[in-house]
Amino acid sequence: MPGKPAKKQKRQQFKKDVEGEEADGRLPQKKFYRQRAHANPFSDHSLEYPRSPSGMDWASHYPAYAVKSNEGEGRDESRGEGETAKPRSTSKQVEIADIGCGFGGLLFALAPKFPSTLIIGMEIRTSVTEYVQEKVRALRVQHREDGGYQNAACLRANTMKFLPNFFEKGQLGKIFLCFPDPHFKQRKHKARIVSYTLNSEYAYVLRPGGVVYTITDVEDLHNWMVEHFEKHPSFERVSKDEQEKDDCVEIMRNETEEGKKVTRNNGIKYVALFRRIEDPPWP
Amino acid sequence: MQYPYQCIESCNRSATEDSRWILFGGRGSKLVAQSSTGVASVWPPEDEDLAVSMSGWHEDEPTEPPGKKIKLSHSNDQISTFSSLTLSHDGQHLIAVTSEDKSIRVFQIDSDCNLRQLSQRCMARRPCAISLTEDDSTIFCADKFGDVYALPLIQPSEDEQNGTPADEPSEQDTPKHYVPAASVLTVHSGRNRKVLEEQMKQASKGQKKSKEQLKFKHELLLGHVSMLTDILHATVEGRSYIITSDRDEHIRISRGLPQAHIIEGFCFGHEEFISRLCLTTSGLLVSGGGDPYLCVWAWLDGRLLEKVFIRDAVLAFLKNHPNLASSLPENDDSFRIAVCGIWSVPRRKKEQDEILVACEGIPAVFSVRLDGTTTIDAVPLIGNALDVAFVYASEDSCTTVVSVDNIHKPGSTTEIREDEGTSRLQYFAHLDGRWEDDTKFEDKLEWFSRQAPNDARNAHGDEKAVRDTLYIVENLRKRPGAEDQD
Repeated sequence: MPGKPAKKQKRQQFKKDVEGEEADGRLPQKKFYRQRAHANPFSDHSLEYPRSPSGMDWASHYPAYAVKSNEGEGRDESRGEGETAKPRSTSKQVEIADIGCGFGGLLFALAPKFPSTLIIGMEIRTSVTEYVQEKVRALRVQHREDGGYQNAACLRANTMKFLPNFFEKGQLGKIFLCFPDPHFKQRKHKARIVSYTLNSEYAYVLRPGGVVYTITDVEDLHNWMVEHFEKHPSFERVSKDEQEKDDCVEIMRNETEEGKKVTRNNGIKYVALFRRIEDPPWP
Repeated sequence: MQYPYQCIESCNRSATEDSRWILFGGRGSKLVAQSSTGVASVWPPEDEDLAVSMSGWHEDEPTEPPGKKIKLSHSNDQISTFSSLTLSHDGQHLIAVTSEDKSIRVFQIDSDCNLRQLSQRCMARRPCAISLTEDDSTIFCADKFGDVYALPLIQPSEDEQNGTPADEPSEQDTPKHYVPAASVLTVHSGRNRKVLEEQMKQASKGQKKSKEQLKFKHELLLGHVSMLTDILHATVEGRSYIITSDRDEHIRISRGLPQAHIIEGFCFGHEEFISRLCLTTSGLLVSGGGDPYLCVWAWLDGRLLEKVFIRDAVLAFLKNHPNLASSLPENDDSFRIAVCGIWSVPRRKKEQDEILVACEGIPAVFSVRLDGTTTIDAVPLIGNALDVAFVYASEDSCTTVVSVDNIHKPGSTTEIREDEGTSRLQYFAHLDGRWEDDTKFEDKLEWFSRQAPNDARNAHGDEKAVRDTLYIVENLRKRPGAEDQD
């Protein structure tokens, strides 16, 4: 593809420039990180993912929250038999996940809003992930004084396959699914980020009371997401009143890159929130 | 070419004073059965009149004398290979999966060992594994696309009516005004814009018919975004669970019906695809696949108890048998195994867990005792291990029947052997912790193992088709990077 090597070169040059210069707070430029909007969630990407949540090295993503090796032990013992180096953990667990975070607009808006909560952006496209990671690094440098953005990070992942590898049962309080790929074609519907069967995985990583936030400008996809969450017994739709009182909804409408595009286009944004309800007793 | 049995299953009926059993075998598109009383049958029947009423069978061999076989309608009538056989807990039904037509077939086992097909349900995606609830009411079908469906074992009669096309147009199909999924206000990538254009075009032509719906009762229970490879149903202290494994190293524990949407946990520990799950007599879960080890799980709390390095035992076995030297890798580290079967050996004492393990293209089964100190013994075979079934000749004497590959050279999945007339079955008795040949079965199953009629396809000698039926597990291994980064 023409133009691709140039982008790659620029990215590498940028990386080289800021490397070593710890104080370099220059922001990366989006134009060198653009990548086509679709990725096939079924293909065997060469992805990196932890064997299990206890094998996740969160400390490398949130160095300000890293704990010394002697702390945070206990629950790793049983599971980590085959794992070599013990992963470093953080003093807090990630509680907010932005799935398909794109260029990180929402992530960077949420970080100051929830300064004491660890937030992770998850993105399947390599260079887009790289952009967000560079931006995290730059913002942390810019905010060295006040410690801002230490709670935001981004990693490359195919969450449709590997979400339970990253998070323990009930670990998350909020999941954002913002402007997901609509996959218009009927035969591609299984590739949608929301489906009855995938919702079980969102329910698994969410604690009771936790919320899934969805927004899209495609009415059809909105209806699809509502239908599939409402059909799932682990979720209930959050009322319109309550939805509009949630600050995150405003941020989601206005701070995501896609959200801004839709505004420029005078498009309509469809929002729906779903609360994780407590599991019923065994029959 | 004498086609081997790619899958076998046994039915043990010990209700009467003398134990009676039936052995079933899937050989290509034939289902063979033989009972302890010597009665035998083949499905679909060779008999012409009967063949007409049975689907899944047609002979298209031009060299056949004309008029010998009746050609059936060719529309939906292809040869379909049996990929798995499962017996209901009450021993009354045999559930078979046939691969090419993606069908689940339920057979009634008649008293004289005859098989009567009660239903054939064609799934949307190829079934990879099935499991039955303890009460035999429901079949769980795990498919290639990652979904698990529940189907009643006995197809309800109203299905038939639902199946008629006249009943089809429900509210979904009533012609509603077509609205494309996106609008011009939608933010688009180039590709989505193209799809939108197509949808607009489609709108003028009227909506395309959506993919045909399954016309029988089925319920979507759960799904992975990965190919499912095995499924088990288990009940512990009155609570039922569904255990599923996939090609992406996951073992998922879900609640059973009616709460199958609730995930209880995962068993993390595999680094390659998982191909088989097995519950031991004491209730431990054993899993295996493309890794050099098996995992032994306290699965209710997702705890890995032990890794059993089965690959080392396979290597040692090959090294101990000079005739298999060609199967040995150049260096031990590059040697890879693909576990294609794990079976729990029936035991009278519950605590004595023992399993049999087979690896693709290896002429042995490996007996693994999990009684604190794990021991692995190789049981050499005359051909590559394909499937295992346990037959009770009497109340307390259990014979292990192993289906072996009689057409490929031992240790190879590609080379055809020169010798002919190799038995398709081997029999072992378990005596004082040792596996001995059980010679008394050779006569009893002589017909089944050496004579039963062949699959019609064998005449063509299509080696590749045979290989693709017998050896499919190694193909589950991922080839990362192949479609990466488009």
